[in-house]
Amino acid sequence: MKITAETKLFIGIFISILAIFGVAFFLSSLPEPTVSKDELIPKATLSATGSATATTYLVEFSDFQCPACRAFSPIVDRIVKTNQDKIYFVYRHFPLLQHPFGKKAAQAAIAASKQGKFWEMHDFLFDNQDGLSDDLLNDAIQILGLGKEQFTKDFESNETQELISQDMLDGGRFGVNATPTFFLNGKKLNLAGPEELKSLVENEITK
Amino acid sequence: MRKSSSDRDNRIIFVLSVIGVLIAIYVLQSFLRQTSIVCINTGCEVVRKSPSSYIFGIPVPTFGLVGYSIIALLAFLRTMSSNKKLLLGILAVSTFGILFVSWFTLTEIFIIGAICTWCAVSALNMMVIFSFTLKSYINTIGKLL
Repeated sequence: MKITAETKLFIGIFISILAIFGVAFFLSSLPEPTVSKDELIPKATLSATGSATATTYLVEFSDFQCPACRAFSPIVDRIVKTNQDKIYFVYRHFPLLQHPFGKKAAQAAIAASKQGKFWEMHDFLFDNQDGLSDDLLNDAIQILGLGKEQFTKDFESNETQELISQDMLDGGRFGVNATPTFFLNGKKLNLAGPEELKSLVENEITK
Repeated sequence: MRKSSSDRDNRIIFVLSVIGVLIAIYVLQSFLRQTSIVCINTGCEVVRKSPSSYIFGIPVPTFGLVGYSIIALLAFLRTMSSNKKLLLGILAVSTFGILFVSWFTLTEIFIIGAICTWCAVSALNMMVIFSFTLKSYINTIGKLL
């Protein structure tokens, strides 16, 4: 066996690959920048629950037509219910383009929020995620006892469109590229699953 | 002409096997330290926590790490020797590799019920390595005949 030019090339390739992976690993291990509470939570939000004065705040960028968001929904619900006074949870809209009914569902949730029923509509949309349609929204109006005329007006209003656009714009600015994306006390979370969210929030509350 | 084609194939095999080693190291450390795997879906965590991801108590990525390391070493040695047994060795390991990744992919689908993205990338990687090795081997046999 003898060292050839090809051997030297292979050593070079090996070192280059290690260097590329090393840099990628270093960059991915850098902590995410923290987003301020004022930036993350719109002042006049109608999609918040829990205690507004709590030191722990959780913000979710979500899409009603996203299956992973539905999977996280009961966990988030449980976290908020068991820590009502210790956490402030805010839902923000991030309907993805690949979900044809995502934006309409967000409009419906905003229209319901104008009548004080955001969370009722939130639960209804996730519970019926597989059958999202215009007919389903008509059913929702009846089941949730919403005023149809007002709902239709709010559903189509420019203000509703702007709220969604602002959420999406903010999400993009904060590095949201998938749903659901959570920010816990301003820090973007890289979660492996719903249970990890629960333990992270509990750790933050008991700090 | 054939020599440069064989060199090119060996380079591809080497690069892919080194990438395979790094993927296996990353996934294996998550298994050993019980930390979550950064993944584009939630499947990696389901697979990591499944008892089916251990063979006789050994985490599955260990087999990937050993297999890819042997292939990388043999591909490297081929730059210093024209011994045909080195290529045959790569063919043997990559054949075992595709059988292994096929078995594990089926286990993920039918037993665990989730797909780990890193495992899928690794499976694809092993198949490409096998294809290039088989091509090189056929070329070598053709040259001998």
